[in-house]
Amino acid sequence: MGEEQAESYLYKLEAVLEEGRLLTIVVIAQTDERAFTSAENNLLRHTIAPPRIKELSLVEKKPLGRQGVGYVVETSTFA
Amino acid sequence: MAERKQWKWAADPSLNKMEFTKLEKDGLDVIETIVNTYSKEGFASIESSDMDRFKWAGVYQQRPKDGHFMMRVRIPGGILSSEQARVLANIAADYGRDLVDVTTRQAVQFHWLTVESLADIFERLASAGLSSFESCGDCPRQIMGNPLAGIDPHEVLDTRPIVAELEKFFLLNRDFSNLPRKYKISVSANIHNAAHAQINDLAFTPAKKVIAGEEVIGFHVWVGGGLSAKPFLAKQLDVFVRPEDVVKVAAGVTTLYRDFGYRQKRTHARLKFLVADWGPEKFKEQLLELVGELEPGGIDLTAGWNGGYFYGIHEQRQAGLNYAGLSVPVGRMNARELNELARLADEYGDGTIGTCNTQNVLIRNIPEAKVAAFRNEPMIVNRFKLQPNTFVGYAVSCTGTEYCNLAIVETKERMRSLAQYLDDTVVLETPLRIHMIGCPNSCGQRQIADIGLQGALVKTADGMVEAFDIFVGGTLEEPQFNRKLNARITVDRLGPFLAQLITLYKVDRQEDEPYWRYVERVGLSHIQAQVDSILQPA
Repeated sequence: MGEEQAESYLYKLEAVLEEGRLLTIVVIAQTDERAFTSAENNLLRHTIAPPRIKELSLVEKKPLGRQGVGYVVETSTFA
Repeated sequence: MAERKQWKWAADPSLNKMEFTKLEKDGLDVIETIVNTYSKEGFASIESSDMDRFKWAGVYQQRPKDGHFMMRVRIPGGILSSEQARVLANIAADYGRDLVDVTTRQAVQFHWLTVESLADIFERLASAGLSSFESCGDCPRQIMGNPLAGIDPHEVLDTRPIVAELEKFFLLNRDFSNLPRKYKISVSANIHNAAHAQINDLAFTPAKKVIAGEEVIGFHVWVGGGLSAKPFLAKQLDVFVRPEDVVKVAAGVTTLYRDFGYRQKRTHARLKFLVADWGPEKFKEQLLELVGELEPGGIDLTAGWNGGYFYGIHEQRQAGLNYAGLSVPVGRMNARELNELARLADEYGDGTIGTCNTQNVLIRNIPEAKVAAFRNEPMIVNRFKLQPNTFVGYAVSCTGTEYCNLAIVETKERMRSLAQYLDDTVVLETPLRIHMIGCPNSCGQRQIADIGLQGALVKTADGMVEAFDIFVGGTLEEPQFNRKLNARITVDRLGPFLAQLITLYKVDRQEDEPYWRYVERVGLSHIQAQVDSILQPA
């Protein structure tokens, strides 16, 4: 095993936008702080005008050590 | 190393990776490697594939992953002797930075252990008739029971011999050391569901039946319960099990799980998935094929749910003897305190201590003449109280970020201080169970709490702030999991927020109405309106 390697995690975050929408963002990062930064960067990339974020929260993290870790994100159903 | 089993699923190429790891080397084989190699050669010598198998020794890496381990010790049925308690206390003092946690499965948990210490710890545990083996891993875990077994006025038979037989049958039994995932058993003949039947993979609850003109006391059987990210309440099978058949039936259920449980995806491997697919009828048919005929179900003797709480001094089944239910706030104590409990058990009781799934403890068999002096012991007056205040007394917490790699927020100390704040702020005689967890896995059994608090981190102008999502209305009285409210409360507001929410309940409730029943009566939308009004800017 030897020296401790910095472990990466798959993070799940939730962004509540001022317009009321709830977005789920999934990012890989080594720390909680970096997860927030990556989530904000992804939100910027995803939108033309910068999103007006009311609340950004980190709700879950899973270690990347195993293949296949992921999240199911529940959204609205098709009509 | 023992002869390897030739499991029938070994030829299945779609098994998940962990299944191949288990086929290469049985989890139990790691115990020998730890004793003979790793404890002598140190952390750097540990092979990565064996790190997963450490769980079969009851050991996992703790956070931060810098060479320290957490260990769980099995306390079958939640009853241990004062001698065993002293052995545990000495291990904590010598190797575990003086920390002892009582868990929600009645086990005892250490932290900060090094691999070099494990061989000695295994030996010390064995010398006291204790074991950490298979308290983690894909195998039968700590067997949960009634910590009052044998003395309980509310039990219909003494389950101690049954728990002992189950422990003897399953522990280190290589027929069952390779299950698809973790596997949790509970046995209780307490009529108040002391061992939380519906959230165990396999549970036995008290029942009676007239068979050939004779009334027989035995058990009903529940299968497939579990919490985690997708909670599921166990299903009752239509069978009646005589006490002498419990091990046979447990072996049958476990065999079905071993042979038919799902091994393709670890996220879909617990017994609950098989039970959900088969349904209780098919499960029963398959079980009877294995174990032979069983009587159909009899009369259920379960009458409500005590939540696993036993505070105060109470008369036992044996005239003139009493048990004392003590509060251990969020289950945490140090070695000196555990040694003191052992002294109290010897001096006032019969030298046995009970561990509760509410992270509390019991002293058993206190003669009437000693009760007054017991009540006045400084440890009882000041620390492990007989009648704790409502919120400290009914607070449960997982480990949180202090030691857990998956937790997002700190929980243990926070739950303790939050409960203290609520006791200082709101006077409430009715028990109100608050469970705090640091991530969506449910080590703190958030789903069955009156109020469940689940951690999140919120980004603010001042940086990251810990927060909690709020869930209300969980119970095993009329089993249902709590439901999420639309509220994520930052920790600076959590205490005042809960104080207001609970005060509204206090004003609105009917006489003796527990919080979960109040939620059921007024409805979730009513509680949400309360929350919105509390959170509304002034």
